[in-house]
Amino acid sequence: MLNIKEVHSGYGKLKILRGINLNVPQGGVVALLGGNGTGKSTLLKTISGLVPVMEGSIEFDGQIISGKKPHEIVRSGLVQVTQSKEAYPAMTVEENLMLGAFTRSDSGGVRADLEKVYEFFPVLRQRRKVLSGTLSGGEVQMLVIGRGLMAKPKMLMLDEPSAALAPKVVLEIFSNIYKISQTGVTILIVEQNVRMALLLAQYAYIIRDGVIMIEGSAEDLINDSSVKDSFLGGTVANTKKSLNS
Amino acid sequence: MDFDFGSLLAFIIFGVTIGVVYGIVALGISLIYSGLDIVHFAHGEIYMFGAFLGLVLSQQIGIPYPGAMIGAMVLAALLGMFIERVFYRRLTRSGGGYTVAGMGMIICGFGMSVALMNVAFLIWGADAEPFPVEFGIEPLEINDISIPPSYLLTAVVSLCLMGILNYFLRYTKIGLAVRAVAHNKDIAFLMGINVPLFISLIFGLACALAAAAGVLVGPMQSVQVEMGYLMLMKAFAAAVVGGFGSLPGALIGGILVGIFENLGAAYISASHKDIYAFLLLILVLMYRPAGLFGVVAKVKA
Repeated sequence: MLNIKEVHSGYGKLKILRGINLNVPQGGVVALLGGNGTGKSTLLKTISGLVPVMEGSIEFDGQIISGKKPHEIVRSGLVQVTQSKEAYPAMTVEENLMLGAFTRSDSGGVRADLEKVYEFFPVLRQRRKVLSGTLSGGEVQMLVIGRGLMAKPKMLMLDEPSAALAPKVVLEIFSNIYKISQTGVTILIVEQNVRMALLLAQYAYIIRDGVIMIEGSAEDLINDSSVKDSFLGGTVANTKKSLNS
Repeated sequence: MDFDFGSLLAFIIFGVTIGVVYGIVALGISLIYSGLDIVHFAHGEIYMFGAFLGLVLSQQIGIPYPGAMIGAMVLAALLGMFIERVFYRRLTRSGGGYTVAGMGMIICGFGMSVALMNVAFLIWGADAEPFPVEFGIEPLEINDISIPPSYLLTAVVSLCLMGILNYFLRYTKIGLAVRAVAHNKDIAFLMGINVPLFISLIFGLACALAAAAGVLVGPMQSVQVEMGYLMLMKAFAAAVVGGFGSLPGALIGGILVGIFENLGAAYISASHKDIYAFLLLILVLMYRPAGLFGVVAKVKA
């Protein structure tokens, strides 16, 4: 559904991504993993058109979207869920959600989807009239996911849904993302929480310094020793070993 | 001068009526500030153009006053969008993402102000033109002081415009999108909003408000090329007093500036009428730098 071929991009003269190849099949859940400053967010921004593509091409749903404006890309059904801190704090929960449906003109369908989002996240219904700036971290994360759903996306891209959340809340958010994927929405999830992301995804890419280092099915990556070493706490164990010897 | 409660009341009423006009110009400056992150220093000239356009439409073409006002608002909005697209857009774009850091935009604004003033001078000349309008309403009498109908009308129309704007921003889909663009352009893009188009819209809206103010003030004073400068300064003071980016703040700030300068003119010295607005501005900046309704400077990541 999403095909990224040899994409280079960055800010001004500073090149961040150096030849990314990535593929998300229709209906699948794919994870993009990596630490801070590895180019994860830049890749998302490049896909959604906020950062221009320098070289290479991005194809979504049979159409080339590289070079299109962000609002045109959203209209084609590829929706990015922003990081949780990027709700509109001075707007109410409901206003935020309605903003997600900005591209749609079927008001009946929008009403129905709003109802669906409220059923999905009952806490949002309770708090629909309050300013989203007063919500807790988990609630804001639900809000931005709900806002993404309001656009009736073919594919959702999630930017670190687990960031700065308590483990229990992370579990709840991820189970919700799983439910969303079951409804047929294709998902690309960008994460630092490798363990959770690999439980959810079928396939994963690990990015470092703007290039894809490792890719493979989630099962393979969980058992891969180098992934274990660098992401699943292996390094700590190894350091201990080397200290003891 | 003997203290007389009736005249005090009248001065306050005069202050409020001119104050709401400052308020709607301030609202435009505030809108542009939150939408484009620039202080638009040529806004006074848009106001002046609005007044002249209203004058031309009503006196020379013969459109009734309300129609002339709407016409002037539409034309000024088009003028504003043209200026924004052709001149400001290049600067904001080179600043990256429709925001500008630095002096370039301020200087461009001042330059635009001088350029517009001279264009108006070429078209209409330097003379003050009277803008007589028959409202067909009796002046309001309060304790022997009569308030001319143009003042009453001005206050009512300004408040209506603000009410409409408030409704538009709060309860319509387009208004919601305007607020989204004003707050954060990247997220607005991700919501599927055509941000460059909306920036033009915000600019046009602000210019329409300034033109309405021009057509309202025209009959009270007269219309001339240099009327914009003082209005810009007063409206700027109103926006700062109320808190930049706050809609009720712009209104209250405008009214405060209006009352303050009218009382100052009445009880201290009428020949220094224009000083009092800035006195208020300085006082507010000293004790409440964010303005009465402003939030402490928003920090952008």
